[in-house]
Amino acid sequence: MALSNIAIIGSSAGGPRILKEIFTELPVLNGSIIVIQHMPEFVNKSFTEELNRLTEMEVVIPDYGHEIAPGTVYIAPSEYHCELINNSKIRLYKGEKVNFVCPSIDVTMKSVVKRSYMNIIGIILTGMGSDGKEGIRHINSIYGTTIAQDKYSSIIFGMPKEAIETGCVDYVLNPEQIKEKLIELMS
Amino acid sequence: MIVDDDLSVLQTCQKIIRRNNIKVRTAESGKECLKELEKGFKGIILMDIIMPEMDGWDTIEEIVNRGYIKNVIITMLTGKDQPGEKMDHLKEYVLDYIRKPFDAQDLINLVKRYLSYLE
Repeated sequence: MALSNIAIIGSSAGGPRILKEIFTELPVLNGSIIVIQHMPEFVNKSFTEELNRLTEMEVVIPDYGHEIAPGTVYIAPSEYHCELINNSKIRLYKGEKVNFVCPSIDVTMKSVVKRSYMNIIGIILTGMGSDGKEGIRHINSIYGTTIAQDKYSSIIFGMPKEAIETGCVDYVLNPEQIKEKLIELMS
Repeated sequence: MIVDDDLSVLQTCQKIIRRNNIKVRTAESGKECLKELEKGFKGIILMDIIMPEMDGWDTIEEIVNRGYIKNVIITMLTGKDQPGEKMDHLKEYVLDYIRKPFDAQDLINLVKRYLSYLE
């Protein structure tokens, strides 16, 4: 199966609960999902295992140079920025914090390049601050689809609000609707 | 560990969590929280934001500076308003928030959820 879609989900405080809703019984999709969740390093493994139990997709923590494959979810490890090389490989590196965080959602989203045969999807979930705002702007500029979590379901509305205020967000949705939209765009 | 200068919040949370057979410690201030960490506490911290002397953010800053952040999952207890942006550089250390007043079941769901990350 050729890789035809990439979704990047950026999430911070309160995110694990929302991601649980989105990934519960999520079927195998035609494409890859990259999750940037701000979290302490020592919970990376258990967080990944939890998502793995919830969805039929394979959920892994990638290594440097990991080639991304359809039907797989990649959890960006804490303390490393995570970029995509030509939308096909993962580059992890230790670097200065961006927007006070590492990994930064902006770094990952801004590394995605336009491909006419690929749907690129950027999603901003609950969290403090403005990480992801520039990433959403970028994905919009390459004609990708952009989604922000709605205020009512957001534990902290900071990041989705900042993304929405760019004027570059296509859909403002709750977690259930985000899941439905992902299935629609990645089937 | 519950960290709050409001004794009624401490007692209520303690009761709810103990009823679910989960060990719980309390701290009435950021300083007491740090003492518990010095003694070797590892687990989940439910931290109030507004406290006298050392507020929740000051306490998190100390937790990070002293290297205890590797042993804890921090969830903040907030009031009606969402937390401000003044502590941007600490936000990545807070995994979740629960807004006061909270439902007992919501609290226990949150605690159990993050306890599973520590197993």
